[in-house]
Amino acid sequence: MSKISRRDLLQYIGAGGIGAVGGVLYGKSVQRNVEFLIPQVIPPEDYSPGVASWYNTVCNQCSAGCGISVRIREGKATKIEGNPVHPVSQGRLCARGQAGLNVLYNPDRVRAPMQNAAQRGSGNYTEISWDEVLTTIASRIGRLRIDGNAGRVRLLTGRVRGHLDELFAQFMELLGSDHYQQYDFTYPAAIRAANRISFGVEQMPYYDIKHADYLLSFGADYLGTWLSPVHHSLAYGHLRQGRPGQRGKTVQIEPRMSLSGAAADEWIAAQPGTEGLLALGIAHALVNEGFYLGSDRDEWSNALQAYSPSRVSAETDVSEASIIRLAREFGESKSSLAIAGGATAAGTNAVASVVAVNALNYLAGNLGQRGGVIFNSAPAFSATAGSRQAGLQGMLELVEAMEAGDVEVLLVHDANPVYALPKNVRFRQAMENVPLVVALSSFLDETTAMADFILPTSTYLESWGDDVPDPGVGFPLASISQPVVATLYDTLPVGDIVLSLARQIGGELPIRMHWRTTEAFIKERWREEYAQRTAEQDEQDEQDEQDFEAFWQAALEAGVWGRPGDAAGEQAAPSSSSMIASIADPVSEFAGTENDYPFVLHPFLTATFLDGRGANLPWLQELPDPMTSVVYGSWAELNPVTADELGISEGDLLDIESTAGSVRVPALIFPAIRPGVVAMPIGQGHTGYGRYAKDRGVNPIHIVATLLDDQSGDLAWAATRVKIVRTGKRLRIIKTDGVSRTLGRQILGPKNDHS
Amino acid sequence: MSISVLDALQPAKKPALLGLILVVGLFFGAWVQGKYFSDRSPVQPIEFSHVVHAADNEIPCQHCHIYADRTPVAGVPSVSKCMGCHNFVPSVRESPEILKLVSYWENREPIPWIKVHDLPDYVHFTHKRHVKAGITCQECHGAVETMDRVTRVATMRMPWCVDCHTEKNVEHGRDCLTCHK
Repeated sequence: MSKISRRDLLQYIGAGGIGAVGGVLYGKSVQRNVEFLIPQVIPPEDYSPGVASWYNTVCNQCSAGCGISVRIREGKATKIEGNPVHPVSQGRLCARGQAGLNVLYNPDRVRAPMQNAAQRGSGNYTEISWDEVLTTIASRIGRLRIDGNAGRVRLLTGRVRGHLDELFAQFMELLGSDHYQQYDFTYPAAIRAANRISFGVEQMPYYDIKHADYLLSFGADYLGTWLSPVHHSLAYGHLRQGRPGQRGKTVQIEPRMSLSGAAADEWIAAQPGTEGLLALGIAHALVNEGFYLGSDRDEWSNALQAYSPSRVSAETDVSEASIIRLAREFGESKSSLAIAGGATAAGTNAVASVVAVNALNYLAGNLGQRGGVIFNSAPAFSATAGSRQAGLQGMLELVEAMEAGDVEVLLVHDANPVYALPKNVRFRQAMENVPLVVALSSFLDETTAMADFILPTSTYLESWGDDVPDPGVGFPLASISQPVVATLYDTLPVGDIVLSLARQIGGELPIRMHWRTTEAFIKERWREEYAQRTAEQDEQDEQDEQDFEAFWQAALEAGVWGRPGDAAGEQAAPSSSSMIASIADPVSEFAGTENDYPFVLHPFLTATFLDGRGANLPWLQELPDPMTSVVYGSWAELNPVTADELGISEGDLLDIESTAGSVRVPALIFPAIRPGVVAMPIGQGHTGYGRYAKDRGVNPIHIVATLLDDQSGDLAWAATRVKIVRTGKRLRIIKTDGVSRTLGRQILGPKNDHS
Repeated sequence: MSISVLDALQPAKKPALLGLILVVGLFFGAWVQGKYFSDRSPVQPIEFSHVVHAADNEIPCQHCHIYADRTPVAGVPSVSKCMGCHNFVPSVRESPEILKLVSYWENREPIPWIKVHDLPDYVHFTHKRHVKAGITCQECHGAVETMDRVTRVATMRMPWCVDCHTEKNVEHGRDCLTCHK
């Protein structure tokens, strides 16, 4: 054996050392990270770790009022599904509803009260304590009240549900201000106004799509965005496949094919703005063909004389034969139903158009019939929803008042008019004239960013509330919204904020609004409604408190209370003569001349973002548009014919200019749109509203001209003409589709395969 | 003689020896790590002794780990549970560890125990089924009542699970979907 040299020995020691260190490091690397086992300090009674429970509450992602069940594990919400016993959603839920978890856990939530630290709109806020912020605001408002200037306080909200609306109204009334208004871009103001004119009742009736066998939809994307999409989707399923041997037919009339258009048997792209006229043409044919058998047939015939299919055909660009065929199909069907919405209910002729569609339902005998238009009985609760919607008219008045310096304090909750109004309204600039703007909001959206103080509200999953679905389902129905998780951050439910302000402002307010919490308020209201109902039924003379508690527990558990037995509500019996008198020529006006602005702008609500409120939720951002498969960003859809004429190909950046402004978007060539129409999705183009929404795409509402529908005072957002200016630049559109050609694979058969 | 073979290996002898020492070093290092720096027996925020509770005072396991027979996890006792007894044990009231407990309780803070037994998220394991099947706690967790500081005795890895399922002839005990779903 040879001697080991000093150098070799050092090498061996080195190798051993490296090996040992490597071994220790290896051992460490395969070791799991330290995890903690955190016990409850005091466990809740019904707590079982690892076992999920489902709590029922109400979705707040749109105005439909679907009942939802939220899966809770160890106090955390992990999944949202439809509440199976709720008549609106029946166990189903849409993408927006599912994405409610993104609202709760959104990293951009306002987590504590904030005070503006720099110029308004800079987004520079510093934290402030609840005590301080409430005292500051209450003293400002309190001083105005004592000076008799309470009218200078204004409250603007989105659509407020159920009894919370009453709470807001009571607050403003006791304060001495009659300036409580709501603004919701999706509010069906035109439909309500038209129903008042046609039927004499301003309510949303129940459109019984489920039992219809012929559905004629004028612009209403009932599967995606119209009124109550989840409920309508269920109804649509039944219309198609629910009755063995009988398959309902649907016809969709709209310039750009929506999800409902794609699901329809027939898609008719009438000239934009003439849908109401088309309805009158069909009505004319309906009477002429003898489908209307009323005694006043001649009067109807006279009233509709001007709308002969030949005239209507020329204006609507729908063939005379089609109009007569639609009338026959509509008249022959046992239960036919016509509905209106979307762009049809958003022109300058919105109300007249919907009145025309109402006339169709009347003439075909669909009113009060199964599979037709069923009027809701009295709502479950006395609180009527949505009576305070301002529309564009009201918002213009508010802007005027703000500019004139008549508004000292503006309270904004759950409304984003800076985003959801045309830029020309200048809401943002008007806000600068208001000395004190207070936002009650969960997120820093464009309107909230203009506030001096932000009072962070708890999300709907953390708050108490209730709701009467509107439109209802044909019988009295009310849902309870209960907190399913503990409040995540230093936020308060909006009702509690109002109650706190009332306490601090003093005077009559704390006496009349004596509830400590929203929960106490809601429960008291339900107790009153319960007492009233049982008294009406003469079941008992004296109310037993125990009874109510049992009822309350059961209602909380189910999340909903209803009386399917009371289905037979009083059906409105519209007088035929007043309906005849209400028929008006639905002439639509457009902003911009045809010469300067050759195209019609067709902004459409998307099933994901709705009017932009869903844009801050990452799950919705990554969901492709169902028609075009485009994901993220905005685009302008053009018919291949229009695009060819202009020499535009997909991805060309265009300036879409109206009389009100311009936006820059890439072009998308889309065959299911009428030539001469430019369609753009609503929802993107936020300048704030969190990391997922900010600086993505453009907002077509901003270039909409400020035209009003005279009769409802609502914004006519489908009445703007635009021109297209090519910029010469390109932007790649991100979509999950491949190409629209079959590449010689003969998928459509040898005859149809042109590529 | 075999010497000649070694002679033939002579040129490669040093690198081979270096490699061998390296490998031995690796194993040694890994052993040292496992023996002295492992996560099998982490130091807990409070020096809780199962010997005192389970052996000396003969408190049954499920008196504290109340969820074992009805949920996937056995559950650690809530702080209120600890205090429920310790409020009535004045003899140890002033000991430093109990003072720690009292301070957690008074601050309404949970005790951040460190997990000793943990399965990956892709394993669907429930205590309920095992307890109902009559498996004693000690079969998996070892003689906890003899441990001043809880130490993991089983590997808690898949071969160990499957061995036991096989040995006890568990119905569907070797199906993938029994544990991975």
